Amino acid sequence: MSDEGSGRDHTDIAMWGAPGSGKTTLLAALSIALSRRPQQDWRIVGGDAPSTDFLIQNTLALSGVGEFPEATKDRNRYRWTLLGPPAGKNGRRRGKPAQVTATRININLMDPPGGSFGDSHHLSTADKSELISSLEKSKGIIFLFDPIREFEKGDAFNYLFAPLSQLASQMLASSDKYPDGKLPHHLAICITKFDELRVLQTASELTLLTTDPDDVHQFPRVPQDDAAQLLQELCSISATGNADIMLNTLTHFFHEDRIKYYVTSSIGFYLDPMRKVFDMADPVNLVPHAPLSSPSAAEPMPSRIRGQVHPINVVEPVLWLGQQVLNEHANGSPAG
Amino acid sequence: MTDGGGDLLRKALTKAIDELDGSARLIVVEVAADGMTTFTLHRDDAGTPRGHHGPVTPWNIAGEQEWEGTADDASGKEAIVRASGIRSHASVILICSFPDGLQASRAMEWLREARPDAPHFTKAHVPVPALLREILADEPLKRSYDLVVLKRDAVSGRLELATQPLFAIGARRGQPVRVRVRCEPGDDRGTAFAVASWQNIQPSLLSVQSAVLSPGRHEFWATLERPGVVRFSGLPALVPDDRRWEDLVASVPATLDPQIGPAHLICAVEVSGSSDLVDERLRRVRQVVTTCAGALPDRLHVSLLAYGTHGFGRGEREEPVEVRVWHVSPKTALDSLSGLELRGARPEGYPYAVQIEDALHEVHGRLGAGTGDRVVLLTVGGRPPHPPRAEARILPCPHRHDWEDLLHRLRRRADLTLGAICDEPEERATPVWRTLGEGARAHLEVVDIRRLCSDLGLVASAAQRIPFPLYDP
Repeated sequence: MSDEGSGRDHTDIAMWGAPGSGKTTLLAALSIALSRRPQQDWRIVGGDAPSTDFLIQNTLALSGVGEFPEATKDRNRYRWTLLGPPAGKNGRRRGKPAQVTATRININLMDPPGGSFGDSHHLSTADKSELISSLEKSKGIIFLFDPIREFEKGDAFNYLFAPLSQLASQMLASSDKYPDGKLPHHLAICITKFDELRVLQTASELTLLTTDPDDVHQFPRVPQDDAAQLLQELCSISATGNADIMLNTLTHFFHEDRIKYYVTSSIGFYLDPMRKVFDMADPVNLVPHAPLSSPSAAEPMPSRIRGQVHPINVVEPVLWLGQQVLNEHANGSPAG
Repeated sequence: MTDGGGDLLRKALTKAIDELDGSARLIVVEVAADGMTTFTLHRDDAGTPRGHHGPVTPWNIAGEQEWEGTADDASGKEAIVRASGIRSHASVILICSFPDGLQASRAMEWLREARPDAPHFTKAHVPVPALLREILADEPLKRSYDLVVLKRDAVSGRLELATQPLFAIGARRGQPVRVRVRCEPGDDRGTAFAVASWQNIQPSLLSVQSAVLSPGRHEFWATLERPGVVRFSGLPALVPDDRRWEDLVASVPATLDPQIGPAHLICAVEVSGSSDLVDERLRRVRQVVTTCAGALPDRLHVSLLAYGTHGFGRGEREEPVEVRVWHVSPKTALDSLSGLELRGARPEGYPYAVQIEDALHEVHGRLGAGTGDRVVLLTVGGRPPHPPRAEARILPCPHRHDWEDLLHRLRRRADLTLGAICDEPEERATPVWRTLGEGARAHLEVVDIRRLCSDLGLVASAAQRIPFPLYDP
């Protein structure tokens, strides 16, 4: 949490995940999801001009023409700020009415081209240092686990273990600040691409799907308490079989009570514009849009979003982390 | 019996002939002025009464005796009786047509003595041969007469010998019957029109005549000339066919490759994709329609459906399956095809599937209960149909049409054959194309149109000759 005008490099929440795990899409969807919240209490703004441009372009692309944000290529560092309702009381200061101060949560995304976390040899020493530094300074981490990528490539562990080891080395080895030997962060593990048929069907087969009675569209959800079970099931079909190690590693390095699991979808499920109710027979919200040389081609073709974007569990992990940051700030205690 | 018994003679002969059965014989002996004639009558295997007579036995066979004498000329009597052939188990009728003649009277006495059980008639100048011919010709049929045809099993395509009724038991000569059959190309002698009679379940061949006829439906008259003789009118240049029956039957192919018309050819063609590909598909459809129209003149109806991709993307308009024409003449269908060719290809669209399920739905709905025509559904394209529910990476049909169910229903129709021309060769085509091309399929780039049409039963294969007419209900 940071006050207005405070250091812009301050990081509250860092995002972390393998390339293509949907980090930028999640951020673009976050803007849409916040706009869809009936409370209208939070909004997201860019922390600098490029980040603002990125947010504008990709939010419009996602909601307008239905195109996915381009993966981070040229720039490896984005900063956004979540602006929320004021926290606490606002008094008078030196006889002047106290200004109403919005709550701010800084979100940093660092993802150099080529996928820095897994392929450290592609990463410059400076970038690597900045990356670890960003994680170290953050109080909350959003870790994106892409089950489709894990099923096809099985490299989530690669993108977790190296930076986690470096982070642990930097924070735990040389200091007694964290006597329990655990990293102090709150960790929101987001199982992304819930809208993918394979993920949805797995959740359905495990009878983990529910619907929110207040949701007029009756989109399926996996309750937070069941998300870990879905993650374990998805890890069991990992291409390399390393996904379970990844889970163990996370619980070894972080306090278990500071980890929460979310089954998320940045684009959500397809909603027939006429029926306006989710249909399990037709849930996929993606449609390929480029000519295909052969229908049996193994490589998936680029997709665009088929219908409206209805993000699922995109706001929740961010606000949960934000709340933890707020709590720590209110308690005046450092994380850990 | 004596003179004046003409009617009695006719009745007696008619009754005796009517009672002929199995191997029984009827011997009619005419005792005339110049000698004696023996007529032998029997029924042949087909139940037709047949008769023949020997040469006239002159009276001098009895020797130079004194015919007027009363002496017991045993040798003369023996010669006459032996020559008449009445000493057998056959029924005998004796007729004296020259009662005024001494020799005839004497011979008649000898014959009556030899077969006292035989009815005998005396009627001057009665034309016994003509009377017998008349009685034989007037006899009502004792067995039904049928035309030998071939029937094709709708499912297996197997050909089976069958019969088409011509004349029922009791029919008399002069009775014409209208007959309708279909003919396929036969061999050099053309199509054999064989008439068979039936006793219980055993057929017996009566006659075989052949004519070279154009393929297609033929209607003509069959007239019973007399028992054993059926005359066909309305067929050109029928000639007796002396081929052995066994050879004729052996020349019937096991199956009739084409269920030769009338047929309803439904072409469903994918019009989404590259221009070259769509042009090629349309060209193949044109070739098929043209080829079949040539082989089935006036017996082919054509329907043409154009299908493409569903519009799934934002702002994409859904273009439904287009029924260009339904059950029209080949010419009208080809005109409509020209319109498609001019219009060109629709965009590539959704890459993984096309509206085949919608096309099947349209075809299934329009076919209804059937018209009796054979139906061939030819699908020309490359991509598979959409499933009714999302599966793998293919989005479901927006209308939730279930192609498997629709194909199952169509395949249950005995009158329907499925054919396909697929963009991909057999080994690369998606499995659904094997079902769509269950009856015959070909690769778009290397289609043997004639063979495809033949496999679909729309064109006779060049090597196939059908020796008998086909049943045409």
